[in-house]
This record gives sequence, structure tokens and C-alpha cells, in this order.
Amino acid sequence: MAEQTIVLGMADLMVVPAPVKLVTLGLGSCIGLVVYDSFAKVAGMAHIMLPDSRGLQGSEKVGKFADTAVPALIEEMLKKGATRPRIKAKLAGGAQMFALPGASAEFLTVGAKNVRETKMKLAKMGIALLASDTGGNKGRTIEFSTSNWMLKVKTLGKGISEI
Amino acid sequence: MADIASFNALQLDAIREVGNIGTGNAATALSGLLSRMIHMDVPKTELVSIYELGEHYGDPLQVVGAVFVRSTGGFGCSLIFIQNEEDADVMVELLLKQQFGTFIPINEIPEEMKDSALSEVGNIVLSSFLNAINLLIGTQHQISVPGVAHDMLSSILDVVASIYGQMGETALLVNTELSVDGLEAGRKISGHIILIPDPDALELLLKRLKVM
Repeated sequence: MAEQTIVLGMADLMVVPAPVKLVTLGLGSCIGLVVYDSFAKVAGMAHIMLPDSRGLQGSEKVGKFADTAVPALIEEMLKKGATRPRIKAKLAGGAQMFALPGASAEFLTVGAKNVRETKMKLAKMGIALLASDTGGNKGRTIEFSTSNWMLKVKTLGKGISEI
Repeated sequence: MADIASFNALQLDAIREVGNIGTGNAATALSGLLSRMIHMDVPKTELVSIYELGEHYGDPLQVVGAVFVRSTGGFGCSLIFIQNEEDADVMVELLLKQQFGTFIPINEIPEEMKDSALSEVGNIVLSSFLNAINLLIGTQHQISVPGVAHDMLSSILDVVASIYGQMGETALLVNTELSVDGLEAGRKISGHIILIPDPDALELLLKRLKVM
């Protein structure tokens, strides 16, 4: 069966059966989180924008925040046949696009906070994080293929790596 | 905090006018810097879904050169000067030709000098823009050192999502375009100025403009 390619936009969250290729384009401070169960042959991705949803309305997309995206992604995985001990995670993103020496602008370091919060949530839920490519000051385009369960990370000027 | 989704046409128009005044001053400054005529576009006030920012300004994967500054004071805001990478290169060539009198092709200019020239163009454009606005509404302001990035458009615009994403799902942006004749005859290069007001500074802005 041919591999279907699905492109996820900002704050999207999706879990689908293999074979599939999950893609997110041009991640800056955002995070692309991949979870998969290679035995149940199911994979999911979330395009996370911000670390935490505290104090916000419940009407927003769950994929937007790390603290809501991680549990939602895992729950969706379990519904589609995955079991928690078999779920593995990989993540990329969380860059700081601009550095302004001497300026206090908290939103510029949101990438690092996204990474920290996502990792913490995964650890709390007992999900093994196998690989990550985070931080730095360059945007990333990512592709996860269920053909080899690898996450391809393309960075401008640095080429492609597979994690 | 003001709810941007409920702004009326008069208020959005007032914000656009602020952009217009900023753009006029920025165009004058850029014209002085490059000794060339600058064409300016009528600014737009845009309410954009934060989920669609990447596509809103063009191909999300397109490589752009961007200069970012942060302004604090009465009217807190962030500004980005965005150009296609090729246009940014020509802009650097124009500036260096103007400064040194001789034309140096972009591939012979060291990377650091390119970024330094680009950040200087951005700095002058954006601080002129800010000076005019702050003069108009009578606020004091301090501008940060500029930050430069070359990357995919959608990665650059994540910064907007991280400012407006905390408050809701819509960003209020003032978008305008400056263009200048390039080195080759008939070729125009352009740059976008995107004003990203701090969400909590909008109320003050509208009050000073007497539309709230």
C-alpha cells in the first residue's frame, strides 16, 4: 500500500494507522512531536506552539499547547490500538529565531520552554523519548515515515539528518 | 485588555493610519540611506488567524531575510522587516555601493558584513517607523538592538504566533511594503514592514487616537 502524506499545520494533532508520512513545514519556535507504536502500526504527530494553556479558554485546539497536546496525542494513540509501554516519542523544533542582546522579551525564548514542557509531560506520562533535535536558531522541516519509523529533519544550511 | 476581534472599522482604520505615518517616515529614511526613490504601499491592518500566519504572507517555505526589533515604553510592540532573500542581497549591494562608491557583488561580501548591512537597513527603517508613531501618540520608547535571521518564512513568523497565541487565536498586524529600484534597470526590490503591537498596548493606542 502506498504511503499517504499528511501535512500538519499550526496546532494540528493527528493519529493515523501506517503506512503514512507525517510532515510539518517550517517549524521555528514550535515543536513537532511524533509518537508511534511500531507493533500496533500507528503513529501520531502534533505541531505545538506554546508551552502551557493555563488560564485559557477550553475552546482552543488541544494541539496548540504542550500540556494539552501530549495527553491528547497519547489518548488518541491508545484509542487506535497502541499500548502505553510500546509508545515511543521523537521531537524536533524549539529554535530561537531572533536574539536581541540586552532586550528582555520573554516570547523570544518560547522555543526552549516548549521543549522543556513537552519533555516533562512525556516523562510524566511514562513515554520514552528516543531522539530529539531541538534548540539552535534555525527553522526545521520534519517528515516522519512509518516505513522505517525515522524522523527526517531538514535545516536550512545544515542539510538533512535522520533521528 | 482590548478584544481585538471586536474592533470596529473606525478603530482598525485608525491603526492603519498609524501604520501610514510610520511607513512615510521609514520610506524617507530609507530613501536618504540609499539616495534612491522609494515607493510605498498603503498599509493594511490585518486580523490574521495565528494558525494561518505562514501562508498569509506567501510561500511558508520561502527563504527570507528578516530584521527584528522590540520596542518598549508607552506603546510596546515588535517590528519585523522581511525581504525575499534575493531582495535582501540586492538591498545590501545597494547600501554598500552607496557607502563605498564601488559595486561589490553579493557573493564577494563576507557573511558578517552582509548581516551587518542588512541589520542596519532594518534598524533605520524600523526605528524611523517607530519614531513617527511614538511622536504621534506622545509616548516615550526604547528600541532594542536589531536581530537578524535568514530562514523559512513560516519559522520566522512563529514569533508572531508566540506573542498573540497566549491571548487567543487572532493576531493584529499592520503590514506595509516599501520598494526601491534595484541595481538592474527595471528590477524592483521590496521589503515588508510588519508591526506587531503588544496586545495590551492596543488600548492605549486607540485611546490616544481618541477612538476608544
